[in-house]
Amino acid sequence: MAIVERNVTCPVDTTLETLLATPEGQQIMSCLQCGTCAGPCPYGEHMDYPPRQVINMLRRGLLDEVIASGSLLRCVACYACMAKCPRGIRLTDVLLPLVKEQTLANLPEMPGELQKSLENMLRYGNPMGESGRKRAAWTATAGVPVPLIAQAGRPVDVLWFVECYASFYPRGQAVSRAAAKLFHALGVDFAILGNDEKCAGECGRLTWESGLFESLAEYNVKVLAKYRFHRIVTGDSHALNAFHRRYPLAEHGWQAEHTVQLLARRLDELKPRLTKRLEAVVAYHDNCCLGRGLDCYDEPRALLTAIPGVKLVEMTHNRMNSLCCGGGGGGMWLDTYYKSKDMERLSERRVKEAVAAGASVLAVACPYELSRFEDAVKTLGHDKQMVVRDVVELLAESLEG
Amino acid sequence: MRQSMSEPVRIGFYICHCGTNIAGVVDVDRVAKYVATLPNVVVSRNYKYMCSDPGQELIQQDIRENQLNRIVVAACSPLLHERTFRNATAKAGINPFCFQMVNIREHDAWVHTDKEEATTKAIALARAAIRRVPHHKPLEVKQVAVQPGVLVVGGGIAGIHAALTLADGGQKVYLVERDLTIGGHMARFDKTFPTLDCAACILTPKMSQVRAHPNITLWSYSEVVKVDGYVGNYRVTVKRKPRYIVEDLCTGCQECVEACVYRQPKFPDEFNVGLGLRKPVFLPFPQAVPAIVSIDPGTCRVFTHPNGCKQPCVTACGDRKAIDFSQKEELVEVTVGAVIVSTGFQIFDAKRVPYYGYGVYPNVYNALEVERLVNASGPTNGELVMRNGKRPKTVGIIHCVGSRDENTNRWCSRVCCLYSLKLAHLIKERTEAEVWNFYIDMRTPGKLMEEFYNRISGEGVHLVRGKVGDVYPDPADPEGQRLVLQAEDTLLGRVLKFPVDMVVLSIGLEPAADAQQVRRTLNMSCGSEGFFLERHPKLAPVSTCNDGIYLAGCCQGPKDIPDTVAQAGAAAAEAYALVTRGYVEQEPNTAYVVEEDCSGCKSCVPLCPYNAISFVEDKKKAAINEALCKGCGTCVASCPSGSIVQNLFEDQEIFSEIEGVLANE
Repeated sequence: MAIVERNVTCPVDTTLETLLATPEGQQIMSCLQCGTCAGPCPYGEHMDYPPRQVINMLRRGLLDEVIASGSLLRCVACYACMAKCPRGIRLTDVLLPLVKEQTLANLPEMPGELQKSLENMLRYGNPMGESGRKRAAWTATAGVPVPLIAQAGRPVDVLWFVECYASFYPRGQAVSRAAAKLFHALGVDFAILGNDEKCAGECGRLTWESGLFESLAEYNVKVLAKYRFHRIVTGDSHALNAFHRRYPLAEHGWQAEHTVQLLARRLDELKPRLTKRLEAVVAYHDNCCLGRGLDCYDEPRALLTAIPGVKLVEMTHNRMNSLCCGGGGGGMWLDTYYKSKDMERLSERRVKEAVAAGASVLAVACPYELSRFEDAVKTLGHDKQMVVRDVVELLAESLEG
Repeated sequence: MRQSMSEPVRIGFYICHCGTNIAGVVDVDRVAKYVATLPNVVVSRNYKYMCSDPGQELIQQDIRENQLNRIVVAACSPLLHERTFRNATAKAGINPFCFQMVNIREHDAWVHTDKEEATTKAIALARAAIRRVPHHKPLEVKQVAVQPGVLVVGGGIAGIHAALTLADGGQKVYLVERDLTIGGHMARFDKTFPTLDCAACILTPKMSQVRAHPNITLWSYSEVVKVDGYVGNYRVTVKRKPRYIVEDLCTGCQECVEACVYRQPKFPDEFNVGLGLRKPVFLPFPQAVPAIVSIDPGTCRVFTHPNGCKQPCVTACGDRKAIDFSQKEELVEVTVGAVIVSTGFQIFDAKRVPYYGYGVYPNVYNALEVERLVNASGPTNGELVMRNGKRPKTVGIIHCVGSRDENTNRWCSRVCCLYSLKLAHLIKERTEAEVWNFYIDMRTPGKLMEEFYNRISGEGVHLVRGKVGDVYPDPADPEGQRLVLQAEDTLLGRVLKFPVDMVVLSIGLEPAADAQQVRRTLNMSCGSEGFFLERHPKLAPVSTCNDGIYLAGCCQGPKDIPDTVAQAGAAAAEAYALVTRGYVEQEPNTAYVVEEDCSGCKSCVPLCPYNAISFVEDKKKAAINEALCKGCGTCVASCPSGSIVQNLFEDQEIFSEIEGVLANE
């Protein structure tokens, strides 16, 4: 089930006032009020106004009450509602972020963790508040050369957009090293932006701090436009989501894809080199942006089943019915807030499903999930029986020599 | 006919307001005034409804008073009123083919909003007709004989009812059914809404009548593979698939079934949608028509085992000699005057909505499976037990699965709300389970339907307004059997979790998998959703755009049994009217060969889709059989020497028309 006309979104400057004048906004008038959106919403039961009611309050001009309720702080932008909407209403892309932006703007006090991360993104170009000058530091330990595009002095095939978590966060760096190793093994002609790269801003967009998103996007587009390359590749599903839905890719003639998409396209070359057996029962977690957002379900599974010794199992919620890790839409920095509201951690709900499926490895393809699921595995006391690994890490581990 | 080609052309022009349909967008007065200035135009008028009696009288009066010999009417589609105006023209003594219609409604007023531009377009179209019509020649309508006999394709309740209606009227009917038995989906249902009468009780008498009727030839396990010809003369080829049983010799005693080497039924039973088992030799269900067994070569040891089988079935059959393992596919041909298409629907495959868990969780069923489970002749003899052998204590019925959904099928399947209420009633009756129906809108139009809804809701069925968004195993159930339905009760505004033992998916109706193939075979059209298209949604609801081919039942769109039967009766009446009249009038837009120009190259001969062109050896010229020609124009366009001319589409007529559109006066 594909999200209808996936890459159509409203103009960037759309507001709640102008929304109904756009074709995507007009679609809202056709809402059946069936509630299909609320059922699969991971925090739907904790919202005073689940998506269906947000729509009807909008139609009746009562949106202020929704904004004041703070319900949208609980939206993790997981596309679960939009993927199932029988009318093809672009909830996650259009309506919900706009309401969320107003919700945040009207909060007496912004949750501290989120406030800090957004400020960091603006000031340092990454949510952790790390120095931008250290962004490419991980390459020193990559084990293989990771060329900078500024130094390449020629067009490259792949511009690898590494992104924040994969640059600064130790588990993310491990994934980056694995990706670099795989690119070398396959002879991919790639380069990175290095310290010139800044956060793609996807979570800035999904919390609809649009000013923040625009300044980050504008900056990155300007940097990217200096170089010539065939495609942008990133291991960060959220960044990929921002590229596809908000960056002016067509205008510049750029394509963007996920690392697993690139590797899956070249599986014929990769497969003979995956010689080390990994005795593992692997459950793959479809992350929201790559799965429901971009309909990419088969590629990561094809890669995993190519690894000798891997037995792939499915969790109860899989593919388009996957459960969110809780990190999207700013959720990454709202854990404390959710806890204060007595809401279950979604990552724990997911880890329980992986355990129930008998997995020894929970495989992911999104940098948020490594930390979220590893925390949950520990909290739930499953750390002896299950580990969390990026698909790319598993592939690199199986790679010869 | 008093006009001759030599007298001067005198045209009458009429533009219709069609209420505000045309006049609301096109300045009809301006068009009429403009046309009055064109050469040969004697009268030019606008009138509110040209198709009304006074409108037609206006034309006739003008013809008489002004000696008009050509008429042009600018109004709606010729499909609707060309015949009306031709008749009016003929009544006043002019050949009806000296009339030309201009469509300024569908082609202009309805598709434009700019009044100025629409008026300019109407003027251009009117001018084209004024230039064309002087070249029209008087033509004669020919009559073509209609063959007796009607083909009915598909033996569900629609086909059965249509066949019986025609046969009772004395028509010979050939009923072709793809399956081993007639009866279709209805034969699988338990009770029928809103009366809760037993489907078999009302259907099987009609099935028996089909078998017994002297005017009906039933070809079961057969398919229509080819249809040639034209209205009144369809040559149909039917493929009769081998069932390895000689139909005339089998008595339906089923002693062979008893004798089969498989002592117990072992293979999924198609009639019970895979919920029961059958042997390789079997009768689909007790009241099957024809009441003869069949052998499935996919499971019978004679076909599947290299060493074959001792064939105790043949021994059991004995002198009846009804079993024939050497039977081959056969083609039979028949000529009929009309065809009724009643090929039915297929149920929506619930796997296409992955989050409802159909095919993943054994306790999730589709509605047709539940019909079989509650049916006394079903796999559980009517006792509602699940695959795990237990009776459900709580059941959730999810409406609109594969209906009203942009991700699957956009249309409302019309019957699901009512059959879901019916199933809720039957489940409660058989198991005393608590039943929860999850609906978006409860749609119960039709006679006694709302009363039925009222009755069922009074029986204690829980009706939840909200569509289920997720189905998953209940973590609180140690056996992992119970499922949680997560849905927003939209009337409460709360997301709730409903643990249930059994889930029933109310699947929608969709076009049969091979609908496109049937469409091509019979040269019909389909709507965007894939159901066969009627000629007019209101005024020709059982006709197709192919004359002599009629529609009945769910192949035209989802409908319930009462509507299906009503439509089948209507289709039978239309076919009956055609066949008993005995002739059809043929539009004289046929092509003919100008012999002196024909070079005898034969290039036209194989191109004719109707086999109307032959090559006359002694003259070395092509010749067109007027009775077979359908006026498609293929030969005209292909003729290298330009020696083929088509009435009403002569070069001079078409060129004048084009010049008229392009002229900028």
